[in-house]
Amino acid sequence: MDDSDGIVVTGVRRSFGRTHAVADAAFTARPGRVTALIGPNGAGKTTLMLMLATLLAPDAGTIRIAGADPVADPGAVRARMGWMPDVLGSWSSLTSRTTLELTGRLHRMSKPAAAGRAGELIDLVGLGDLADRPTRVLSRGQKQRLSLARALVHDPSVLLLDEPASGLDPEARVELRVLVRRLAAEGRTLLVSSHVLAELEEMADDAVYMQAGSTVAADRLAEVRGRTRTWRVRAVDDRALDAALAGSGATADHQGRLVPVVDEEAAADLLARLVAAGVRVTAFAPAAGEFERTFLTLAEEASR
Amino acid sequence: MTGTVLQDPAPNGSARPERGPGGPSVKDSVLMVGTVVDLELRQRVRSVAWYVLLGVAALVLAAVTLLLLATAGAFGGEGGDQVVSVVVYLVLLLGTLVTPALSGAAVNGDRDAGTLATTQITLVGTWQLLLGKFLAAWTAALAFLAVASPFLLIALVAGGVDLGVVLTALAVTVLELGVIAAVGVGLSAVIPRPIFSVVTTYLVVAALSVGTLIAFGLAGLAFPRTVTSTYTPYSQSSYDDQGNVVNPVCDAPQVSTSQSPTYDRVWWMLAANPYVVLADATPSRWSPEGYPDDSFTSVKAGVRSLQIVQPTEQVTDECNPSNDRPAAQPSQRQIVEQTVPTWFVGLAIHLVLGALCLLAGARALRTPARRLAKGSRIA
Repeated sequence: MDDSDGIVVTGVRRSFGRTHAVADAAFTARPGRVTALIGPNGAGKTTLMLMLATLLAPDAGTIRIAGADPVADPGAVRARMGWMPDVLGSWSSLTSRTTLELTGRLHRMSKPAAAGRAGELIDLVGLGDLADRPTRVLSRGQKQRLSLARALVHDPSVLLLDEPASGLDPEARVELRVLVRRLAAEGRTLLVSSHVLAELEEMADDAVYMQAGSTVAADRLAEVRGRTRTWRVRAVDDRALDAALAGSGATADHQGRLVPVVDEEAAADLLARLVAAGVRVTAFAPAAGEFERTFLTLAEEASR
Repeated sequence: MTGTVLQDPAPNGSARPERGPGGPSVKDSVLMVGTVVDLELRQRVRSVAWYVLLGVAALVLAAVTLLLLATAGAFGGEGGDQVVSVVVYLVLLLGTLVTPALSGAAVNGDRDAGTLATTQITLVGTWQLLLGKFLAAWTAALAFLAVASPFLLIALVAGGVDLGVVLTALAVTVLELGVIAAVGVGLSAVIPRPIFSVVTTYLVVAALSVGTLIAFGLAGLAFPRTVTSTYTPYSQSSYDDQGNVVNPVCDAPQVSTSQSPTYDRVWWMLAANPYVVLADATPSRWSPEGYPDDSFTSVKAGVRSLQIVQPTEQVTDECNPSNDRPAAQPSQRQIVEQTVPTWFVGLAIHLVLGALCLLAGARALRTPARRLAKGSRIA
């Protein structure tokens, strides 16, 4: 699969009146990988998603979803793209099974094929017991599962997931992560937006950062990522740890010691040194996830 | 999210459902519209409240049918023809009252519920979606006609019914309810908030049903014409044995003027009234004396008589009765036969109105959307 199978966005712009919801978006999401879409509220993530989902036309720029243009040929995109919106809507009088069957039929499946696919998806997202009850009785998390199943009805090669984890309990989040990874392993392109950065960190391979309507350029990202990071260290004996860390600029918080390091290489050296010094280390990890650190650094610079 | 493996691991594998990205065929479009109708009827229409409403309609129609048949029995007629016209009028009334509520939130209600966008990103086309919603709303409105069918059968059994009248009245009612369904669905796509599109649809119905009457009445009164009445009395000097006047003396004529409404100039305003369209379209039914035999014909004769130009000069000469020029008094049957039918004009206006609303709705629903209405959220 080459890049034309994923999502390619260049120079996309969209305003509503005087509001520039998306000013300049450019990124690539590749097949077989999970790409995170990260940005603060109002950064234009949902507007961008709507343009990718063929619902909104960009004012300028080009979009390719699995090789097709959503403006010129929305039908071709819709046949290959699944979208899970941030708004959780469901036909309240219909059962989950009927919802999925009808969605399948709207994707030009035959009745038996749609019914079969609905059964598969109900098992896949674990709605088994509730499948034949009206969707109005579903909880938020259960509606979330239904929404994901609906996005998968026509077995799309590109998936757009807008806040898929919100409302899910911890167990369901783990299940979602496993499912997302499996969908990517099957060669699909996934674009996932979420506010829960730790969650994204665990499922995404790549990240696209959005700020005030624009995606953050690659060189700026590299620069931000290259800065000194903080590692969290804990040991059985705090005094031995403090002695070994003397002169490294370490600080302390309620969970242990925070040590600035330049990169992962330096972190590995630090761990080797601590172990060699006889410190019995119990925890050694980045203090914040990669996404969170980049996100916070970008936000901090933007507010300056 | 259990650990089950996807049945179709390869996204481009052979188990993928068949869908032709090429030109959609007619059969394909019909299937799509059918799916939307199915979806709409299941989600929007079939509810307990809906069946209660149909039950209430059935009770009202039953009561009216019984009363009319009893009346006809008392006056020695068969009564079937009256039952037909009243039942169809009631169906049109109930249909026009309920259809705006059924159709007026078809699109923006989905938008509010967050189910419009997820439908639009399937392979269903804008027109297929809109037509499906329109047909579903129409079908729901026609349920009232289905409820009325037993009473129409009772009327047929009671006798005196002209099948041509029944079929024409049904056809016009079906079309009129379709027009209201089209207006409602179209406006629900154009107007962002469901409450406003439902109210606007009701206003359209009211403008046609009541507004045309008010406009007609006011316009007739606003531009009156002057009518000159000449009255020539006489003075008598004596009577003969039978009490007849002998040697009357004519007095000077008394001329007076008055203002009279000019309905003959504005009668066409009523052509767009759905009840007038219904009455005007059905074949006339006359008694041997030239009087209307059913409500449709009564309404038709009443509306048609407005086309006749009333004379601007009235002469009442009591002195020489041969000079009298009283207003002509043709029978209702003669009036209908002399005047112009208007139902096809009214029906055409309604059909064009419905089509325009659907057209505007399709424009508003087009994706990818270039323009958004103020405050509307496309998901």
